[in-house]
Amino acid sequence: MKKRMILVLSVVLALSIFLSACGDSKQPQDEVSQPAGSEQDVSQEADKPQVAQVLKYGTDAEPGGLDPHTISAAASIRIFKQIYNTLIDVDDDMNYIPELAKSWEQPDDTTYIFYLREGVKFHNGREMVADDVKYSFERVLDPDTAAIGKSYYDKIETMEVLDDYTIKFVLKEPFAPFMGNLTSLYGAIVPKEFIEEHENLMVEACGTGPFKLEEWIPDNRVVLVRNENYFEEGQPKLDSIEYYVMTDESARLAALRTGNVHLIKLPAASLPLVEGNPDINVLPFQTNDYSYLGFNMTLDKFKDVRVRQAMSYALDRQEIIDTVYDGEASISGFVTPAMGRWAIDYAGKDLYKQNIEKAKQLLADAGYPNGFETSIAVGLFDDIRNIGEVIQKQLEAIGVKAEIQNLETGQYIDAWSNKGHEMMVGRNGAGTDPNRSVAFFFSTTGSANVWGYSNSKVDELCELGMVTVDEKERESVYKEAQELVLEDSPNLFMASHMDYFFARKEMKNFTPSTFNSEDFSRVIIE
Amino acid sequence: MRAYIIRRVLTLIPILIGISLSIFLIMQLIPGDVVSGMLGIEANPELRANLEKKLGLDRPLHEQYLSWIGKAIKGDFGKSFRTDKEIFPEILNRFKITFQLTIMAAVISWLIAIPLGIISALKRNTIVDAIVRFIALLGVSVPNFAFATLSILFLSKVFKYYPPVGYVGLFADPAKNLKIMILPAIILGAIMSGSIMRMTRSSLLEVMRQDFIKTIRAKGASEKLVLFVHALKNALIPIITLVGMQIGSLLGGTVVTEQIFSIPGLGQMVLTGINQRDFPVVQGSILFIAFVYVVINIIVDILYTYIDPRITFKTGR
Repeated sequence: MKKRMILVLSVVLALSIFLSACGDSKQPQDEVSQPAGSEQDVSQEADKPQVAQVLKYGTDAEPGGLDPHTISAAASIRIFKQIYNTLIDVDDDMNYIPELAKSWEQPDDTTYIFYLREGVKFHNGREMVADDVKYSFERVLDPDTAAIGKSYYDKIETMEVLDDYTIKFVLKEPFAPFMGNLTSLYGAIVPKEFIEEHENLMVEACGTGPFKLEEWIPDNRVVLVRNENYFEEGQPKLDSIEYYVMTDESARLAALRTGNVHLIKLPAASLPLVEGNPDINVLPFQTNDYSYLGFNMTLDKFKDVRVRQAMSYALDRQEIIDTVYDGEASISGFVTPAMGRWAIDYAGKDLYKQNIEKAKQLLADAGYPNGFETSIAVGLFDDIRNIGEVIQKQLEAIGVKAEIQNLETGQYIDAWSNKGHEMMVGRNGAGTDPNRSVAFFFSTTGSANVWGYSNSKVDELCELGMVTVDEKERESVYKEAQELVLEDSPNLFMASHMDYFFARKEMKNFTPSTFNSEDFSRVIIE
Repeated sequence: MRAYIIRRVLTLIPILIGISLSIFLIMQLIPGDVVSGMLGIEANPELRANLEKKLGLDRPLHEQYLSWIGKAIKGDFGKSFRTDKEIFPEILNRFKITFQLTIMAAVISWLIAIPLGIISALKRNTIVDAIVRFIALLGVSVPNFAFATLSILFLSKVFKYYPPVGYVGLFADPAKNLKIMILPAIILGAIMSGSIMRMTRSSLLEVMRQDFIKTIRAKGASEKLVLFVHALKNALIPIITLVGMQIGSLLGGTVVTEQIFSIPGLGQMVLTGINQRDFPVVQGSILFIAFVYVVINIIVDILYTYIDPRITFKTGR
């Protein structure tokens, strides 16, 4: 036996030597610790303290590909948002602002003309022109690309390049969400020749954004370096951004405490851990997400609106916010407070006020005087799980006994898309246009309406909202739709939470906001 | 003899087919798929169809399996669904990292466990023994993720220390590499050492009770000679067996530690693959781990005949 083990060991050893030998050529050029920009340091040394302008960011997940047209994972968007631009962007008051387009006009309901910035360079040095805009949307609309945002833009009938810096979109019919959709990275502008050369944009990247992709070593780091030709004069200030994947929360916090990274993101529960630490600034910002309790409305008990409303009356949303988010969240509907004028006042609604008597009465009317047994599916996010547990407790008061099902991410998505659940707690993003918040989730044909909810009046309003170009009118259309959905309660909506960046004090000029949470263009390291 | 070797190598084929088939089927059976994962909330039938076609998932299962295994035989494990990168070179890269961690952890565990185990046996039923046994019990019962998380918190709060971020290869930058690897290696090693310590103690005590030790002592050998030459040598046999088993399990089982310390080893690769439902990555890396095990076993079996002359393999029965 002893000899056998020694043998095993020696064979393993031999194999490893062989592997290291043959694998070495693959070893990436690790650790040239000052990637690019080091010449830049020299020129700036005169007036700046000698601190490397490198932002180290400890992230929670490995990106799953970098193609802005086909990838929707947050871990990827975070990175390619620095690399690519869209035609227009949206500010925190939900106004459209210029990005690659410096201005635009809309001669009629279906025609949009965009005037592009001149002299914008792709990272490969070529100037970005109207043909690239045309190509980018053609790529998105090509079924072979399998682009995620295809439905965002498939109302486009023709695109006409008027000159190098002017492009005209003609839509098949009026489509009010069009401008909002253009702010999405699903419509990022990409260079044709680069895609043809690399076949796709999964591991290589070439955009017009403030940073260029330098390297991506899987499960380890992504390094971006400054785009010297960025169209915003004097930006970015940083020489590079290094993203380190650190899935473990305590590891991220430890690396921040010791100054090994400058920036991490943590949930509210970690706030007390850095309280009083003079080296760490906490930067909160309001998210555009809301948490919800969804019902599988193909089940008999949840078909009855009285049952769903009873549950709404049983909930104390403020308690959820206090318990789960440490009080740092706003009561929300499915159009979040961050969406400003588009949202109705949810907190003031009767259905949002806990009323156990009324809840019991409604349940009794629906034929469940003693409540019933059910289950709540929750995913891996801590806040979602905790919300599930608070709801479980609160529902006990009206005799509803819910069992918590902890689902792994794949199972959770499976349950979500195949109605493999009774009730489910989740979190959705409300988007930058109310069409997204309302029609996508609650119209009968909305592709995220996985609940089996259908209200023909809501559908009509969604149709109307799509073609109503007048902003004021559109607002009232979506407000009416919100009232109807709220009354029907296909989901119960809870809270829109805050997110927190934890940053070293050396990191300056960083102000995260709802629609621009990772703008590093002015950031410096002191 | 040659016939035996040929026969053993031939058994590789059904074993690997069996393993590959099970991995493939398990990946099909687990809930959730890469398409849902990639599309998430944006999923709709049109998008699903487009993406399935792009990834080749619209073909019948047996066709998918055959095309995968057909290429895998030639060392082509295909490309990642997510990143579109070649999988096989990545597996080799990752395996080196996990292997280094495993060996470092094993050596550390021996350095801790064997001396302490000997002391504990010699000072049986004293306070020293009690302390060592208590530590060993901790090692056996504390899960390594808890130990890892606690040490990270402790080191960063009290000593303001955290290993450098961003893994680099051993040959690219040995100093930085060791700084990154030493803490997880110590943690894995400390956890491993618990059972080795206990094994050393009990095994040594048992050997010391045996008749041949009495005989040696009766012959007037010094206590040192009795312990280090005769007793320890015999006591080592079960320890080495245990060590071998631990190394084996570590090669595929440093997943949690790798994740906590952000070390991009094979375990991390499998885990990211599973989380992203990146089937080719998971299938490829698990098949690779299985292949390494099976091949090592066969080589050992064959070499065995050279080492221990009492063992012969006869062809036929």
